[in-house]
Amino acid sequence: MTAGTPRSFEGDDEFLAAACAAASRSSGADALETLGWWDLLPELDDPDARAAVFAVFRAQGRSLTGSIALGALMAHPYPVPGDRQPGSVAAAVTRRSLRRGTVVLVVGDVPSELLLVDRPGVGASLVPVADVDLLRVEIPGRLALHEVVVDLDAAPISVPEVDAAPARRRSHALGRMAMSLEMLGAAEATLALAVEHVQAREQFGKPIGSFQAIRHLLAWARTDCAAVEAVARHAVALDRVAPTGFDEILKALAGRNARRACERTLQSFGGVGFTAEHDHHHFHSRVLALDSLLGTSSELTRELGARLRTSGSDPAIAAGVLVPVDAR
Amino acid sequence: MSSIEGGRSDPDGRADPLHDLRTFVDELEAWLVTGPATLDAARAPIPSFAERVEVMSRLMADLHDAGWARYGWPESLGGLGGTIVHRAAMWDALARRGVAGMALFEHLEVLAPTLVALGPRDFVVRALPAFLSGRELWAQGFSEPEAGSDLASLRTRAVAADGGFIVNGRKIWTSWARYATWCLLLTRTGTPESRHRGLTALIVDLRSRGVEVTTIVQANGTDELAEVVFDDVFVPADRIVGQLDGGWAVAMHILSSERGTFAWFRHCFLYQHLREHLDHGDAGNDFGLGGALLDLVAVTATSHDGLRSHEAGVPLGPRATFTKLLLCAAEQAVNDWILDADADLAVGVQDAATAMRRQEYLFSRIVTVYGGSQQMQLETIAKQALGLP
Ligand SMILES: Cc1cc2nc3c(=O)[nH]c(=O)nc-3n(C[C@H](O)[C@H](O)[C@H](O)COP(=O)(O)OP(=O)(O)OC[C@H]3O[C@@H](n4cnc5c(N)ncnc54)[C@H](O)[C@@H]3O)c2cc1C
Repeated sequence: MTAGTPRSFEGDDEFLAAACAAASRSSGADALETLGWWDLLPELDDPDARAAVFAVFRAQGRSLTGSIALGALMAHPYPVPGDRQPGSVAAAVTRRSLRRGTVVLVVGDVPSELLLVDRPGVGASLVPVADVDLLRVEIPGRLALHEVVVDLDAAPISVPEVDAAPARRRSHALGRMAMSLEMLGAAEATLALAVEHVQAREQFGKPIGSFQAIRHLLAWARTDCAAVEAVARHAVALDRVAPTGFDEILKALAGRNARRACERTLQSFGGVGFTAEHDHHHFHSRVLALDSLLGTSSELTRELGARLRTSGSDPAIAAGVLVPVDAR
Repeated sequence: MSSIEGGRSDPDGRADPLHDLRTFVDELEAWLVTGPATLDAARAPIPSFAERVEVMSRLMADLHDAGWARYGWPESLGGLGGTIVHRAAMWDALARRGVAGMALFEHLEVLAPTLVALGPRDFVVRALPAFLSGRELWAQGFSEPEAGSDLASLRTRAVAADGGFIVNGRKIWTSWARYATWCLLLTRTGTPESRHRGLTALIVDLRSRGVEVTTIVQANGTDELAEVVFDDVFVPADRIVGQLDGGWAVAMHILSSERGTFAWFRHCFLYQHLREHLDHGDAGNDFGLGGALLDLVAVTATSHDGLRSHEAGVPLGPRATFTKLLLCAAEQAVNDWILDADADLAVGVQDAATAMRRQEYLFSRIVTVYGGSQQMQLETIAKQALGLP
């Protein structure tokens, strides 16, 4: 079974359509090449280029494909010495495992030369890929994930903490926005499959899509996607002028809503949705994996609540701030 | 920060608040700092709805006199020009200054955009300034005892008579009817079976002979809802909104505002409601607080899209429905957190602030019914956004 192409969603535009087409036709590297993604990446401060850079992730989620885009995007804010070829450097993502402590992961394609591994309070190291062991993590979702076996204490610091700290904040913000869009894409695509399914599958002599209980499940999933799409579009458009922590708000929302959408669509598939043969579990697993990186929805939601309660800081986008966003 | 309008300025180089929203907001906020006494009155918790209407009407009069409430409305109808975004910014600023809600000025964002777009010009040119300055208020007469979700089955009849119509029938759940001068009334002008094809929207003077307004006391203790009976009420012919038998389009226009853009206005107050209660919360419930924040941000983004579409004259379509569902979710999440943080409202401690919290909490349980129930919204999405038959 292949991933369905969803009916149009909010924010769908030509570039996203091209990104989806490129992603499902070719390898991740070729898709980025075809789309001119590497030329867009240095133009992140341009709103149109930025929107295009992030659209690639939504396309990856929809088509269950992958590339080096996340690692390259997250490496971008760091001052990396030398003139680098596209695909030669990527940032790893660090997470805490309950059992194994700090785990360093490469999400998507492995870079050809250097892996950027950042340690808060210490600085960032550029580790030659040739010097590390990469263990492929086998989870569904068609998401390439590698655990990096590396002795960080032996790795020299390439970017000192004074430079790494601001780069890290930016890197995490970009990474959270990217992962949110990828979760959105995955949720949208499995919803599109569900919409097809409920029109084709009959019980009690009629399509199950004629039962309100099923229609409303999918309508909620659609609403959850619409919310993520709108917040993501605002986050990408506002970028640096968004209120502090807006990337965390986006990722908390995207993780929660995409998981909910996967659960609701699964219910509409019935038993067949719980098979290895059906694509649903790939979308669902990809959402679960991305939700667990750079702060799960639960963690981020709790932290956002705590920050709001203790600091009273205003996370709202005031009408005045929205002025520069042209959402048309 | 540049503005979407390009930050035009007048010959002295001073930014023009009409074209530069940032300037508009800055100048309004400066004005509010030393604001009128009516502003302070509107910031106090007022459990009585009648009193709330009084206080808000006086504040609106001051906002109108100072010009603020006229921005966002056409100059030809007594406004100062600008767009809905100016109104969005004004109510956001008022919410930030601690005003608790719009009270029945909610209809400025539910009914007035349709009056401007489709109302009889000669009437609206007088009625809009009267509404904006709090002198003459409005109600929306759609629902009937037998016509709730199935609005197209409504039976209140308008029969052509000399110089106008004679109206007979019964409306229910008419919010704020007892404070309103005018009612935008959806009537049947076609055959009983004509459903949405035989409806006409009329502007009815609630002071007319034959109108009887009976208050409904609600489960949350307030009494802004009413039942309105029309017994041979004469309505002049020049009070049609839209076309004769074109009432359904008028209703849809109104509901598009009520679902799509109105959310912006209401959610500004929900934000402040949440923020004002932050000192009640404890660490044990930060997840609930964070979740309410996520729901509010979803409304900010979707309703902002709605404002921009409205400004550009682009119909919202099913997107208004997402916004409506998200607003309901946010309103319930905010009030869930407030209840969890302080159960006094459940047992009813009798100070004004707790009484208001209780009202708001209970009201948030019914928001999924008005403006089209949640089930109706979900059906709209199933059909229009998902393409299910
Ligand atoms: C606070 C408040 C303020 C209001 N203000 C106004 C106002 O100012 N002006 C005005 O005109 N009206 C107003 N209303 C009325 C409101 O629009 C109606 O309550 C609403 O349209 C639902 O109608 P109903 O109450 O008759 O419920 P019903 O239509 O009887 O519905 C009852 C339940 O059945 C469900 N249901 C009905 N049909 C279906 C179906 N086909 N499929 C699935 N479920 C279904 C509904 O979702 C709902 O849960 C207000 C209501 C409230 C609560």
